[in-house]
Amino acid sequence: MSEAALVGLFVATVQFATLVYLAALGELFAERAGVLNLGVEGMMAMGAVSGFMVGLETGSPWAAFAAAIVVGALVGGLHALISVVLGADQVVSGLALTIGGVGLAAYVGRNVGGRIPETQFTDMSIAGLADIRWFGEIFFDQPPVVYLAVGLGLVSWFVLARTRLGLALRAVGESAPTTDAVGHSVMGLRVGAVMVGGAFAGGAGSFLSLYMAPGWVEGMVAGRGWIAVALVIFGAWHPGRLAFGALLFGFTLALQPRLQSFDIGLLGVQVNEISPALLGMMPFLLTVVVLVIISWRYRHRPSPAPADLGIAYRREER
Amino acid sequence: MMRPVLVRRDRVLPATQALGFVVGIVGALVLGAILLLVSDNNPVEVYERMFDSALGGIDSLSRTLERATPLALTGLAVAVAGSMGLWNIGAEGQMMAGATLATGVAMMTDGLSGPLLIAVMLASGVVGGMVLMLGPALARSYLGVSEIITTLMLVYVSIRVVEWLEVGHWKDAGSLGFPRIEEVPAQAALPGLFGRVNIGALIALGLLVVFSLAVSRTAWGYELRLAGSSPNTARYAGVSLRRKILAALLLSGGIAGLAGAVQLTGTEVRLTPGLSNGFGFSGIIVAALALMRPSGVAVVAFVFGAVQVGGQSIQTLGVSSAISTILQAMILFSALAAVVFFNYRVRWAGAASEHSDV
Repeated sequence: MSEAALVGLFVATVQFATLVYLAALGELFAERAGVLNLGVEGMMAMGAVSGFMVGLETGSPWAAFAAAIVVGALVGGLHALISVVLGADQVVSGLALTIGGVGLAAYVGRNVGGRIPETQFTDMSIAGLADIRWFGEIFFDQPPVVYLAVGLGLVSWFVLARTRLGLALRAVGESAPTTDAVGHSVMGLRVGAVMVGGAFAGGAGSFLSLYMAPGWVEGMVAGRGWIAVALVIFGAWHPGRLAFGALLFGFTLALQPRLQSFDIGLLGVQVNEISPALLGMMPFLLTVVVLVIISWRYRHRPSPAPADLGIAYRREER
Repeated sequence: MMRPVLVRRDRVLPATQALGFVVGIVGALVLGAILLLVSDNNPVEVYERMFDSALGGIDSLSRTLERATPLALTGLAVAVAGSMGLWNIGAEGQMMAGATLATGVAMMTDGLSGPLLIAVMLASGVVGGMVLMLGPALARSYLGVSEIITTLMLVYVSIRVVEWLEVGHWKDAGSLGFPRIEEVPAQAALPGLFGRVNIGALIALGLLVVFSLAVSRTAWGYELRLAGSSPNTARYAGVSLRRKILAALLLSGGIAGLAGAVQLTGTEVRLTPGLSNGFGFSGIIVAALALMRPSGVAVVAFVFGAVQVGGQSIQTLGVSSAISTILQAMILFSALAAVVFFNYRVRWAGAASEHSDV
């Protein structure tokens, strides 16, 4: 395996990690506030298609990215309306959001499928750091969304762990009745967290259509939204551990299309002779295996999940 | 300051879920009409075409029933797990696993007579679905791993397996290099009833009746529901939660696998990566709308079959068939919202009304 191929693998790892990290970070906000949102896949699809379409219209990747964020927040708002404001089942509402979101994205993008993009994000090298051997190319010569994701991760950690807002947000996920009694608005916090989560997922979706695979193809999110949902469990609802998990999943996602070109033997098998279809299932099998390992580790300990996750709150039924 | 508050109604309206479903359909049609208007289509024309092609005659009706069959089976699969509070959202993958094993068995058993081959293939379908469910079921019952994510992840895995077989070991030598799997033997085709309906519809209906009775009338079904609604009570009553979870999930996977085998032998002629065709995902909505009751699954599956057939037909009008997926999700959203308003009323609460309302 050549040096360039290896560096390329890690460059792609960072990009795939960014994709799932952004979406998972958004889901983390919603879940920390006690709302399970299984609609990530649908929100990402809507972000991807709207980002691409606004990019076609405006020619500006940032306008496209902003549009995807707004669309993601609005789609997330639908889940908030049904499951938080009206208090319907979060699992059902989230699944409907994924199915409906993927369908709506296909409908909205029916005329732009396969169109050549007018614009996309370009790599932005950071002066001085980008020249470092290997590391420069991997970490400091990336599209701006990668740096943004790092920044958002730090800000998210700070907000959750060090601010009053973060305290209220975590409290409402652990015990909504108590938080209500203290005087915080349960509905306000939860709706806000779900919409922020939608914004993150929408942005992640547009990173896909504006950089990683510029363009729009029906079904292009291809399960990565679900990996983000699993990632939140892997990251034990913590922005830092989430980043570690994102790099792990980013690595498997990046590895899969590249193994074909690696002429190395592993356990007596030439990796470049493994069928691409079999390699394609790796990230999904890995998710299952990782979830099993995590549950095994927590089998005698209380789960790190927010206590009120998935439970609707109605003050009158306290 | 006045603000709206949801208050539980003293008298809950009867048949709220059925009513909610109807309101859901109406709501979805209205939202769909807005979407069509925005994209310069005539909603009346589109809906007319959908209705005609799905319910406008005996031939249309048979198309709807053909589609409703796998939906009823996947809906039942989701409902069996759902009756104890578990979510099998990977019916899509178990369908593929069932169809894959059924295909494999058909390849191995040469020259079986029609009825025997069909029985063997349908049974392999059940086993295939169960095999794919085994991992998630064990992980859920022994370690508490969320079955929602594991079942879904295996959807992608099972589709990749079929893609792999298609270009690899099972590639049809007679397909002139085109990657596809051989057709199943002609005698494996499910006998037809009328139009495009085959006995798969009867199998689905029979299973719905059996499970409807089993869940509501037997001790096994009672324990299942008890384990779902109040696990602690069930444990005190001596019910093994672990075994109940295993049983519910494996049955669920088996039924979805059967759906795959029925689809393979009844409608498709060969195994393809697209065989499950979204039926497993729609089955989740079907079961959720039916409140996990098998009787409700039959009704909702029929309506969804009609929506899907209608969605296909409007492509000739130049309207994307994605409309039918959107309608299905919108029916669920509208029904969820409607049912809340059947059980709750809105009261304007504020400083002034706090006393007057008591």
